[in-house]
Amino acid sequence: MRITLHVARDLLREALARNWVLGLLVGITLVLTVLGLFLRLDVVDGAIAGSKLFGAMLFDDIVSTDKAMRPVYMVAAGIGFFGGAMFLAVACSDFAPSLLSPGRIEHLLSLPVSRWQLLLGTYLGVLALSALCTAYGALGITLVFGFKTGFWTTALLGGSLLGVAGFCALYAAMLTSAFFVRSAAASSAVGLLVRVMGILASARAPIEETLEPGLGRTLFHYGVQPFPRLWKLAEQCIRLAGDENFNPGLTARLVAGSLIFSLGMLAIAAWRFEKKDF
Amino acid sequence: MTAIQATGLSKSFPRLFGEPQPALRALTLSIPRGSAFGLIGPNGAGKTTFIKLLLGVARPSGGEVQVLGSTPEDRAVRARIGYLPERLHLPDAWTPLQFLASVARLKNVPVEPPLLERVGLGEATHRKIGGFSKGMRQRLGLAIALLGKPELLILDEPTDGIDPLGRVEVRRILLEEKARGATVLLNSHLLAETERVCDRVGILHLGRLVREGTLQSLTAQREGWVVKFTGGGDPAACGFVPHADRWTFDRPDVEALNAALGKAREGGAWVTEVLPRAFDLEDVLAEATR
Repeated sequence: MRITLHVARDLLREALARNWVLGLLVGITLVLTVLGLFLRLDVVDGAIAGSKLFGAMLFDDIVSTDKAMRPVYMVAAGIGFFGGAMFLAVACSDFAPSLLSPGRIEHLLSLPVSRWQLLLGTYLGVLALSALCTAYGALGITLVFGFKTGFWTTALLGGSLLGVAGFCALYAAMLTSAFFVRSAAASSAVGLLVRVMGILASARAPIEETLEPGLGRTLFHYGVQPFPRLWKLAEQCIRLAGDENFNPGLTARLVAGSLIFSLGMLAIAAWRFEKKDF
Repeated sequence: MTAIQATGLSKSFPRLFGEPQPALRALTLSIPRGSAFGLIGPNGAGKTTFIKLLLGVARPSGGEVQVLGSTPEDRAVRARIGYLPERLHLPDAWTPLQFLASVARLKNVPVEPPLLERVGLGEATHRKIGGFSKGMRQRLGLAIALLGKPELLILDEPTDGIDPLGRVEVRRILLEEKARGATVLLNSHLLAETERVCDRVGILHLGRLVREGTLQSLTAQREGWVVKFTGGGDPAACGFVPHADRWTFDRPDVEALNAALGKAREGGAWVTEVLPRAFDLEDVLAEATR
C-alpha cells in the first residue's frame, strides 16, 4: 500500500502543476473571492433582510438565514456534481495516457512496482484530487456564507463530497479506456458517455415505458443497467447539501452501485494492464 | 555467475492482419556479472525489445530469461536494476531533486542528492526540469538509473544528446560503476563509446544474435589489409573486397597479400597505398549485418 500511496501522491503533485487543474483551482478561488468581497448580505436577527452583489440589489425579502442558504447550497452542490466533475474529467483525461506514454511506462515498470499498484495509485490520486477540489470549493463557500450570515453547516461539504462517489465511476471508466486506446480525447469521451448513460440509467423505468416492447426496449434495459444511477445520486447530493429530504438508504445503494461499477472497470483495466506489452 | 541469462528468447508482436511480427528470434545469451556488455545492431534489430524483456516491460513469446538469478517479474530483482530508457519522460514542473526523491521512494532506497553532482547537474538541482536541454535530461536519467547502487545497469543510448565532453564524463561514470562491481548493459549507436566501455559485445540483426564475444575476439579474428588502386584491372577477381574508395584484403598473411597484389598489377591495376587493416567494431558490425 505504501507504493500505491506514493504513486497517488506523485500524481497529485504532478496534477497541481497542470494548467487545467490550476485553472479549476483559480476559478474556484475567483468565485470565492467575488462572493467574499463583493456580496453583501444584511443579516438582522438570524434573517437576511437584503443582499447586494457588486452594489446591485439581488433581493430584499426578509428570509431566515437557513432557508435562504438552502437553495444556494443546493445550486452549489449541483454545479459541483455536474459542472465540476465534467471539468475535472477533462482536466484528468490526460493522466492515464500520460502514465502509459513511451519513455515513462517502461521506466515505471522497471522499478520494483507492480502494475496494479500503478493502476490503483493513479486512480486514488485522481480521486484525491477531485476530493480536494470539491472540499476546497465547498468549504470555501461554507466559510464565506458562514461569516456573512452566522449560519454554519457542514451540509454543503457532505453533499459535495458525496458527489465524489459519482466521479469514482466516471474516472474508473476513463482510466480503463486508456488501456485500450491511449488518448486523452477518447478518455474524455468515455467520461461523457458514462455520465450520459448514468443519467439514462436513473430514468430507466420512465424511458422504457416510452419505448415499444421488443428488441430496442430490451437492449435499452440491459444496456443502461450496468451504469451507476448518477442523476439520482446527484439528487441526493443536492438534497444533502440543502438539508432537505435526504434519503440515506437510497444514497447508500446508489453509492454502492457506483463503487461496484468502479471496481468492475478497474478489474478490466488491471486485466488489460497485466496482459499488455509496452 | 551470470547477471543475465537468456535461453531461446523470442518475442513476436501480433498484427491486426497477417502473421505476428518477430522482433527477437531464439536469442541465447549469457552476460557475466561485473562485465560491461555492449549491445549493438541496426535499427529494428531487436535491441530495445531485448531490454524490455529483461525488465518485464514486455513478456517473451518463447524461451526464458533470468536476471540476477530470478525472473524479471520479481520485484526484488527489479529493485537491484538501474534503467535508463532511450527517451525518458520527465515531469517538466518538477525539480531534479523532487524527481530523484520520487523514484527513490518507489525503489525504497535513500535519496542521494550527490548523484546530481556526479552527473553534472549540481548547479541545476532546484531548477524546473521543463527548462532542461536534451543533454541535461539525459544526465538526470542517468542519475535516476544510478540510484541505490544497482547491481545491473541497463542503459539505452545513455549519451544521446550529450555534448562530447559530457560523453567523456558519462563514460567515466560507467567505468566507475563497472569498477564497483556493477554489470553494465549498454545499448548505443555510438560504437566508439561501446568499444571504450564494454569488454564484451553482442551484435543483433533481424532479431538474431549474429556475433557475440569479447571485443578482442571479435576484432582480432578479422585482421587484414586496406589497399587503394588506380588504373584498370579487376582487383575483385584477385580476392579484394570493394568499398567506397578502397579495397580490403581479409587474409592477414603478407605472402598471400603480395600474391594477390601481383595478380592485380598484372591485370592493369596500380597500387597507390597498402595499410594494415585496423578492424574496429564498425567493421565487425558492417560485416555481421551484411
